[in-house]
Amino acid sequence: MLSSEPMTVPTVSGQPLGDEVDVRARPAAGWALLRSEISVLFRRKRTWAMLVALAAVPILIALAVRLTESNPRSNGGSGPAFLDEITHNGLFVAALGLTVCIPLFLPLTVGVVAGDTIAGEASAGTLRYLLIAPAGRLRLLVVKYIGAAVFSLAATLTVAAAGALIGAALFPIGPVTLLSGNTIGVGESLVRSLLIASFITISLLGLSAIGLFFSTLTDVPVGAMAATIVVSVVSQVLDNLPQLDWLHPWLFSNYWLSFGDLLRDPISWTSFGENALLQGAYFIIFGALAFGRFSTKDVLS
Amino acid sequence: MASMWKRWVPAVIAVGVVASVAITVPMVAEASATLPTKTPAQVIALVAGSRVSSFSGTVQQTSNLGLPSLPSTGPGSSSQVASTLALLTGTHSVRVYVDGPSRERAQVIDQLAERDVIRNGSSVWIYDSKANTAQHATLQGHASIMKRPGQSQPGQSQPGQSKPRQTKPEQSMTPSDIATALLAKLESSSTVTVGDQVTVAGRAAYDLVLTPKATDTLIGTVSIAVDSATGLPLGVDLTARGETTPAVSVEFASIDFSKPSASLFAFTPPSGAKVTQESTKKADTGAKPSTKSVTKPKATVSGTGWDAVVSVSNIPSLTKLQTSSEFGLLTTSVPGGHLFHTSLLNILFTTDGRVLVGSVSADRLQAVASAK
Repeated sequence: MLSSEPMTVPTVSGQPLGDEVDVRARPAAGWALLRSEISVLFRRKRTWAMLVALAAVPILIALAVRLTESNPRSNGGSGPAFLDEITHNGLFVAALGLTVCIPLFLPLTVGVVAGDTIAGEASAGTLRYLLIAPAGRLRLLVVKYIGAAVFSLAATLTVAAAGALIGAALFPIGPVTLLSGNTIGVGESLVRSLLIASFITISLLGLSAIGLFFSTLTDVPVGAMAATIVVSVVSQVLDNLPQLDWLHPWLFSNYWLSFGDLLRDPISWTSFGENALLQGAYFIIFGALAFGRFSTKDVLS
Repeated sequence: MASMWKRWVPAVIAVGVVASVAITVPMVAEASATLPTKTPAQVIALVAGSRVSSFSGTVQQTSNLGLPSLPSTGPGSSSQVASTLALLTGTHSVRVYVDGPSRERAQVIDQLAERDVIRNGSSVWIYDSKANTAQHATLQGHASIMKRPGQSQPGQSQPGQSKPRQTKPEQSMTPSDIATALLAKLESSSTVTVGDQVTVAGRAAYDLVLTPKATDTLIGTVSIAVDSATGLPLGVDLTARGETTPAVSVEFASIDFSKPSASLFAFTPPSGAKVTQESTKKADTGAKPSTKSVTKPKATVSGTGWDAVVSVSNIPSLTKLQTSSEFGLLTTSVPGGHLFHTSLLNILFTTDGRVLVGSVSADRLQAVASAK
């Protein structure tokens, strides 16, 4: 990305003139920091509680449908998309789980992790120790962002995997019917599921950057988490108002439900590309804002 | 303190870069080479001489008819009338695949759903992913262009597709003969001009503008974008009288002139789908699905050209429509009946069971209704 240059140029051109030890030590410090960040993230009970709650969504839906299966559906096509299909094919539980999770549960958990990144360390009093280590504020910010992005991926994959497993356990599996009416084999359907998971992970990157920025503004992690979640809800509400259709292409939640384009035949890649560009723009703007705020911030705790 | 401000420089640059990219990229896409000037007759001849038989593309349909637009309630579904209304408001995409005169596929892209029309030779499938239904019909003889009621397929109804086919039986007529004949017909009712060069789907196109001569029609202009290289019409804009933005716009967002994959036109209904077979007679005559009613609808046309009014009586299931809850919300009560008003079209439901349709003012509809 050409436009990501403004963020990296100041550090790259600012640092490499130092001695060689410095150059070699710093990437190592970055990797160590990233490793420790991710291991801390996934050793927290809160992270696991959120992942378990996310996994429960498709499991509960599948159980509910399985237990009420004897009732013939009377309302023909109401309820979320894919709900009718899952009794024929368990693999649809994953798609249904993601459809249900993307408007609220996924932004909620991502908001918690992204909002906690800097503010959490500040409120725990550990931020200044992290900055005493030869890491630098930009590197800490990058590591924290990658941590939030890794959580987004883990959360999405958790929903997809839990859905696919419970679907395979409770319902027959077989060739998958695409939205276009064509069918694909089980193997290709798993590939499409992974594509959908990557689409949704990318969709959450903009929100993660917003959460990171909010997290640099305050020392109260709950405030940053709540602000991030509120922003995601506001964006979706605006996205549902037809009167504001000029604004819709600029909302980070605009493509959240467009992952269905990956379930067409042939696959429509337009929304995938547009979504990636949009999330990239949010990442650049809010990443740079977070850097501006964090690098000028007085770290007192 | 000065160094503190420098830390915000990346943020300022980032916002600037994103904003400038967002503004300049669409402008670059618009700019293209200047086309040689053509007369309306030459542009029509270009369309008539078009030899495009295979292409695939995405058609974007935008409607701004002045109808109320309701918030879509996320991934859930809505009532029948609301979803029909949704087709008349907002923006819709249709992916279109055409291979020769007899193989066509249109995919209406909805959020997490899709409606497909697939034609392969004489076999026509209609598939709806939301209802999970598939309808099959067989066309008899060398059927003309596929046209089904109740399905929006803007890409299929464009004149460019039918024209090359219509020319085939009459080999003696050259494209410019057809253009002259068509232009003479059009000019009796409209002023035909070639507007400024436009860019549609990234291609330079001529803009053929029809302005109705009739003063009491609601239609201001009809403009057709004609691809300068192939002669294929790439878009149609309908603008209401006195408006500047089109009320209805149907145009290609992207187009590719290579042959679409043959597998696209082979359709087997998925297991679990409700499959219905339509009798060949219905498909052949292209009659409305409501032919079983004893009293057939009777249509009379008063006036010609743009300000014609079509009056239909004896419509079956009209009372069902009129008693639905949305009917009252969408129509206004006027002397002699109920009026459904859009910026391009008025529909008058009279109290004695007639329906009058026309691109004319409500007053004229009422005048025609009371004249009978």
